[in-house]
Amino acid sequence: MKRVKRITLIALNFVREQRWPILVLQLSVLGLAALGLLSDARSDRDDILLTFKQLGMYGVAFSIFFGGSAIYNERRSRRILAVLGKAVTRRDYLTGLLLGVGLAAGLFCLMLGFTGTWTLCPIGFSFFYLWYLMGCVVAACVLSASVALFYSTHLNPWMSAMFTGLTLGLPGVLAFEFGGLWNYILPLFSLMRVFLKASYEHPGMSAGGAIPAALIETVVFWMAASWIFARIDVAVAVD
Amino acid sequence: MPAVLEFQDIIKDYRALFRRRIVRALDHFTLQVEEGEIFGFLGPNGAGKTTAIHLAMGFVRPTKGRGLMFGRRFGHAATRRRVGFLAENVALYHRPAENLVRFYGALNGLSGETLTRRTREALETVSLLHEANRNVGKFSRGMLQRIGLAQAIVHDPDLLILDEPTSALDPLARYAVREMLLDWRRRGKTIFLSSHLLSEVELVCDRIAVLNQGRVVRVGRPLDLLESREHFEIIASGVPADSLPGTEVQTDGRIRFLVTAHAQRAMLERIWALGGEVISVSPHKRTLEDLFLELTGGPGAEPRFRPKQEAP
Repeated sequence: MKRVKRITLIALNFVREQRWPILVLQLSVLGLAALGLLSDARSDRDDILLTFKQLGMYGVAFSIFFGGSAIYNERRSRRILAVLGKAVTRRDYLTGLLLGVGLAAGLFCLMLGFTGTWTLCPIGFSFFYLWYLMGCVVAACVLSASVALFYSTHLNPWMSAMFTGLTLGLPGVLAFEFGGLWNYILPLFSLMRVFLKASYEHPGMSAGGAIPAALIETVVFWMAASWIFARIDVAVAVD
Repeated sequence: MPAVLEFQDIIKDYRALFRRRIVRALDHFTLQVEEGEIFGFLGPNGAGKTTAIHLAMGFVRPTKGRGLMFGRRFGHAATRRRVGFLAENVALYHRPAENLVRFYGALNGLSGETLTRRTREALETVSLLHEANRNVGKFSRGMLQRIGLAQAIVHDPDLLILDEPTSALDPLARYAVREMLLDWRRRGKTIFLSSHLLSEVELVCDRIAVLNQGRVVRVGRPLDLLESREHFEIIASGVPADSLPGTEVQTDGRIRFLVTAHAQRAMLERIWALGGEVISVSPHKRTLEDLFLELTGGPGAEPRFRPKQEAP
C-alpha cells in the first residue's frame, strides 16, 4: 500500500512539474473546440474532424517528449537525488514517471474527448466511437511514453525521441507492408490508423487486439526500462 | 560499536561513453562509520567524497568492492528509510516549504498526523516554520540548504548523511546546525558529515577521515590526528630568551618553543644547565588545516586520469 502511495506521489509530482505544458495543451484543445463551435459546423465538418485527428497526433508526440525528457530533466537538475535518497526503488520511481505521463496523456485525451463530444457528435459523429478512439489514443500515448522512457534511462531527450520514433515507426512500416502479426508489434501505427481513418460515414473500424497488445508491450518496455535504470549511475550526467 | 556504514575495498571508475579515459574516483576505499558517532569526511575537491556518499546512497554502483549500510548492501531502498540525506548544492522542487517537506516525508512512509507533526518539527528545527507557506523557488541559498536539511530529518532517521550542509549558511545558522548535530548525537544518531569547513569538523566530529585522490590517507579521532609525535612544545621559565633558538616569549615572561622528539632531552638538560625551570612538555598540537594540507599535498589536488589500457 505504501508502495502504491509512493508511486502515486511521484506521478502527481510529475504532473505538477509539467503543469504548464499540460495546461497549454488543454487550453489549445479547448480553444480549437471553441473555434469549431463558432464556425458553421455543418459545412466545416470535415475540417473539424481533421483538427480533432491532428490534436490526437499531438497527444502521441507530447507523450514521447514527456517520456523522453522526464528522467533527463530530473537528473540534470539533481532533483532526482532527493527522491531516490528516500525509500524509493528505481522501479517505483520509473513507474511513477510512467503513470505521470499516462495521467498527462489521459487528461489531454479526456479534454479531447469532451470537446469532440461537443463539436463532432452534434454533426453526426458516433458518441461511442469517439470515446473508443480516445481509448486508442491513450493506449498509443502510454505505449509511446514507455518506449521513450526506456530510451531516456540512458540517452538524452533528443536521442531518446529519435530512437523512440524509429522503434515505433519500423513495425508501422512492416505492418503497412505485410499486415498480420506486425499489426500487434508496437502497434502505434495500427492504433493511429483507426483514429486517422475515422469518418462520419464509416465510424466503425476497430483496432482489434491492438489496444491490449499496446498495453502488454507498455509493461514489457517498463520492465526493460526498470532493469536498465536499476543498473546505471543516476548521479552523473546523461550526455 | 556496530558499523552503520561500511565501505569495503571499493573501486569506482567513471568512464565516458565514447572516450578512452577513465577517471578513478575511489581507489581501494575502505572505511567504517560506527553507530552514534559524528564522522567527518574531509578532502580536497575531486578527492572522491561525494562519490563515496553517492555510493552509500545507491546513486552510483561500485566498479569493484562492496558497501553495507545497516548491514544491507548499498542501494537497498527500504534501508534508506533509516537515512536522511542532504546533497551538495541541494536541488528541490519549487513549491511551498511545508508541502515540499511533507512530500519527502510521505515518500519515506510517513502519513496522517505523524507526517503533519514531523513536518512542522523539521521546519522548526531549521528555523523555517515562519516561511512554511513560501515557495522554495524564492528561497536564498542558505534557506535552501536549511529546507534541504528539513527534508533530510523529517522522518527522524538513524543515520544522517550530509554533503556540505553548512557551506551556504551564515555564522548563526551554522551554529544552529552544529548544535542540532550535537543534539542528534546525544540521541544516539549517527552523522556522516562531509565538509570543507575544517574548524566546524574539528568542533563536532568524533572521528575524521581525510581522503585524497580516492584513498583514505588518515582516519582517527581529531585529538590523535592533530597531536604530533614528532614535535613537542616546551614551556620554561628563568631562562633568557636569546639563550635558546626559536623561542617565543609569553606575556608572563615564560618562554615557549618547539623541539623535535629527537632533540627534546638535550633541550631539557640545557634549560636546567642555564638554571631555568621546565613548566611543561607536551606534544605539539597542529591545526586541522595544517594536517589537511600536509596529507593532501596542498589545496586543489586533481583526480587521477588514466588511459583505458592501464585500468584494472
